[in-house]
Amino acid sequence: MPNQDTTHREIQELLADYAAALRDGCIPTFLKSLTREEAKRISESDDFWEAAEIVRLMNSAGFGDSLVTPDVGLFISRVDAAVASRLKQAGASTRERSRSPAQVARSPVSQED
Amino acid sequence: MEKPLRNALKQLTDADEESRRRAMEPFVRATFGIFIRHLHRYLGNEAECEDVLEDVYADIWENPEHLRAIENEQQLLRTVYLYYMRKRLREVYRRLNRSSYLSQNDVQNLVAPELSLCDLISQAELKQVLHKLLGKLKARERKAIELWMDGMSNRAIANQLGTTVGAVKMLEFRTILKLRQMLKEYCEED
Repeated sequence: MPNQDTTHREIQELLADYAAALRDGCIPTFLKSLTREEAKRISESDDFWEAAEIVRLMNSAGFGDSLVTPDVGLFISRVDAAVASRLKQAGASTRERSRSPAQVARSPVSQED
Repeated sequence: MEKPLRNALKQLTDADEESRRRAMEPFVRATFGIFIRHLHRYLGNEAECEDVLEDVYADIWENPEHLRAIENEQQLLRTVYLYYMRKRLREVYRRLNRSSYLSQNDVQNLVAPELSLCDLISQAELKQVLHKLLGKLKARERKAIELWMDGMSNRAIANQLGTTVGAVKMLEFRTILKLRQMLKEYCEED
């Protein structure tokens, strides 16, 4: 009977793959690649969690500076658009709340009811 | 804390929505670099970092209460991570839980973990400390970590060290645990 254990990665291999995925920005691929047994190994290994903490710091120290800083002005416009959208949503819900019962009764939806 | 950031924070906690909206520009300018580097630790993907950060800033605009008594940059980063970033990071990976065998809790611990003492070290200090700690390792251990941090694959590192990929992974794993212990001692002393 073949040794089924050989198909699963050992904890040090899982850490190496997590580190590589973090470096390449593809954590979802790493998460999807885990087998049930590997997920169990990760879950039960204190060493993995402790090492993962350092991998994140090393990743930040090693590659954080290579981040391509985008045009902050352009990013600010994105944030402003997100804020405007939330303001609009908040305005719409406030208007909805402030409608009087009489207005609600006159609205087409209420009339259909 | 720099004056522009202090002023932006003051305006940001104002009750008036429009005033808060105006304060966003100086606030984003002053904090973008700090926040995106911190997010990069967990995501490693610039585009994703920007998407998450956009929501984080909008959340801050909507509910800036937690930023009322901020006194320094470290406290700001800690507060923003705990009250705004973590929630968004968890959302990014919540949907992946369906296709992963890791439990929801483990996924969260991997992508949006609790902050440890060492997580709040600034980028510049972190580089300095790591450089110092790497100097205390054995030559082979140091070489493996330095090559990894230079962006080399494990296969390339194995070629450089004249060993197998499996042995490199084991060496890195043990060295990282050793580094963790050293870093923990440094943070506790500090």
